[in-house]
Amino acid sequence: MKNVRIWFKKDFECRYISHLDLNRTMLRALHKSKIPIWHTEGFNPHPLATFPLPLSLGFRGVNECMDVRLEDDDYSFEEIITQLNACLPRGIRVFDVTEAVMKAGKIAFAAFTVRLACDKTPSSVICRDLRALLGQDEIIIEKKSKKGMKTVDIKPAVQSYEIVEEFDFARLEILLSAGSSDNVNPNLLIAALQSKTGAEYEVDITRNDLYNADKEPFR
Amino acid sequence: MVSKEVEKLLLKVQKPGRYVGGELNEVIKNKKDVEVRFAFCFPDTYEVGMSHLGMKILYSLFNSVPYIWCERVFAPWVDMEEEMRRHHIPLYALESGDSIADFDFIGFTLQYELSYSNMLNMLQMGNVPILSCERTELKNIVVAGGPCACNPEPIADFVDMFFIGEGEEVDLEVMEIFRQCRAEGVDKQEFLRRCAQVEGVYVPALYEVAYNDDGTIQSFTPKEGAPAVIHKRVMLEMDKSYYPDNFVVPLVEIVHDRAVQEIFRGCIRGCRFCQAGFIYRPVREKSPDTINAQCRALCGNTGYDEVSLSSLSSSDYSQIVPLLEKLTAWTGEEKVSISLPSLRVDGFTDEIMNKIKTVRKSGLTFAPEAGSQRMRDVINKNVQHDELMQTCATAFAGGWTTVKLYFMIGLPTETMDDVAAIAQLGQDVVDTYYHTPDHAKGKSVRVTVSASSFVPKPFTPFQWEPQDTIPVLHEKQQHIKESIRSKKITFNYHDADTSYLEAVFARGDRKLCRVMALACERGFHFDGWNDCFSLEKWLALFEECGIDPSFYANRRRSFDEILPWDHIDYGVKKSFLMKECQKAYENTTTPHCRLQCSHCGAAKYGKGVCFEKRQNLV
Repeated sequence: MKNVRIWFKKDFECRYISHLDLNRTMLRALHKSKIPIWHTEGFNPHPLATFPLPLSLGFRGVNECMDVRLEDDDYSFEEIITQLNACLPRGIRVFDVTEAVMKAGKIAFAAFTVRLACDKTPSSVICRDLRALLGQDEIIIEKKSKKGMKTVDIKPAVQSYEIVEEFDFARLEILLSAGSSDNVNPNLLIAALQSKTGAEYEVDITRNDLYNADKEPFR
Repeated sequence: MVSKEVEKLLLKVQKPGRYVGGELNEVIKNKKDVEVRFAFCFPDTYEVGMSHLGMKILYSLFNSVPYIWCERVFAPWVDMEEEMRRHHIPLYALESGDSIADFDFIGFTLQYELSYSNMLNMLQMGNVPILSCERTELKNIVVAGGPCACNPEPIADFVDMFFIGEGEEVDLEVMEIFRQCRAEGVDKQEFLRRCAQVEGVYVPALYEVAYNDDGTIQSFTPKEGAPAVIHKRVMLEMDKSYYPDNFVVPLVEIVHDRAVQEIFRGCIRGCRFCQAGFIYRPVREKSPDTINAQCRALCGNTGYDEVSLSSLSSSDYSQIVPLLEKLTAWTGEEKVSISLPSLRVDGFTDEIMNKIKTVRKSGLTFAPEAGSQRMRDVINKNVQHDELMQTCATAFAGGWTTVKLYFMIGLPTETMDDVAAIAQLGQDVVDTYYHTPDHAKGKSVRVTVSASSFVPKPFTPFQWEPQDTIPVLHEKQQHIKESIRSKKITFNYHDADTSYLEAVFARGDRKLCRVMALACERGFHFDGWNDCFSLEKWLALFEECGIDPSFYANRRRSFDEILPWDHIDYGVKKSFLMKECQKAYENTTTPHCRLQCSHCGAAKYGKGVCFEKRQNLV
């Protein structure tokens, strides 16, 4: 028995499926691939896969991972990549399999590339508005919680960022707090920008790497 | 494939995974390499349509022909439709992303009457004229099949041709004719005339209907050499009949998210309310070996860990136990579970129970359909009270604690006592639980009683019957509610308003086409969904068109009236249906096909249960 971490990209059509649907798709692919994955025991045995940090619907993921337990310790990692890709839709591509070095709980930050475009606003203006927003001492947003709406300051979650003006969009590279305790979704930032400027943006978000508290890449 | 324009909308709508395609096993061809492009439309949401077996069979079959590319189209949910209309994006097929107006054929499968409005709405969203006569070129040929095609008249003005019966052969024959016609450069009219000569093809434009003053049909006359009677097509050798070894595996969860294996067509029972029990005659089975091989291929190619054995009544499969033995020989090892829907009350045996229980235990559902024995005899359900109790006892002893019971109200000859008997039957099941000594320890029983309203359908012995009016149906629902005393029984009932509209269209004629066209103009859609359906709005449309809907729903027809579907032949003789109707009035049952042949007419196909050797029953 060996725990392995399967690394994949999620893009194209598969960008538009939820985490639950991704889980289902992965389980079916694992079942079809006949890779010797440990199954749960009981009435309804099924392969068990866990995802260290779920990805929101609509985001592209270029360095996503999923943990499974292999029943055969000597099963080749190369074989897993080939077999799984043959069983997955084209929007999900496995590119690496490694040992699970860090525990999922170690995830502390996530890096995103956010592309913002707007028909009515030039990218220079979007960049200016973004700079203004991120330069504030606090960024207060309304968040739904179990006890109704509450206001949260998401500024402390912003670790570092870079704003680049491209031909027809503004590109924001940003490192945000992530993980099970205080995860900040970049969509909250966009919502804050939208409520400030009143503009409606076309948003394209890619999640890049995950990091631990020491800002070492999550492995 | 999704266009840039569509991508901009996807994050604004619910469950965008429904609108993108890109699933495992979807078929992509090069447009330049194909001659016929077929848009297979299911007039409901992706989740519903993708669960439909007929679509899976025909999708794979069409795509197995090199010159045809068949793609899938579903009705976008209201939020997506709104976005698409606002941004002028036409309805597109999932595989290529091309508008349905680019297709040679636009085919609809008609599973329920309340999807008619979606069919027209989908055409309109694709900028395809809804009226057949306004599509003059040899392209965008609108075809339709499925159970509702048995009475095509309410939508006769919109559809160029209907496929009557099973589609596996006739569809391909028509596409071959299309290919020839285009090569020859003939027009759409000539193409339709040629197709009308193919058995199983009904071209409504080639028939003229005249009406009597009272609104009933006076005559129905074929033109331009079209046949006077259209005979259904039927696949006679089920083991040789095409069956896909692969399904498109959806990215988002659908209603029936599992592999589906057909085990036989037709039903031996002949319940008098059930259209499927008549139009799919005769019963034709696949052999256990074929089923086993097809199941294994399907599970292997899709990765599904559940396979459902599909038919109208699974326990009537003559070799059910040997089949389950073959299947369980590998399903346990490969961690695949088997589900057996459509179990009859009298078909639930220990042996079957133990086989399906080895993998998964889901709730049990039975359909006694009526509460009193007299009523069950009227509808020819052939289920005895004791059998039901025995079955429930077996299930309870096996550890089950929830039972769902399906009933109908508004059946012909029904009295308030028959209605009250539904509540009593639910109570009897509860009592049986507590009288079963080895029921699950420390657990309570849950019985769900569901009552839907009876809709008289064409090609059944009740095709002449009036439907109960809505107030009467409400009164009956209320009566059941008041007759239930146990808290262990949950009572659900189906909305009578939708059943009423269903009854209007099920037995409608061509005069209803005007109402349908107006409904499309006014943006009606998703009538099968409570979110959208409004009987009030429909009634206003009928009034505007000067049509009385109760003429179709609540009127008793006489046996000698020409019915709108009389020119279509499903193998079952009208005289047989009349005889069955009369037997219903006498509370007399008819034995099922394996016990005795009742000479319905389906034996003319020369195959199936009609020619099985009957066992001598002791």
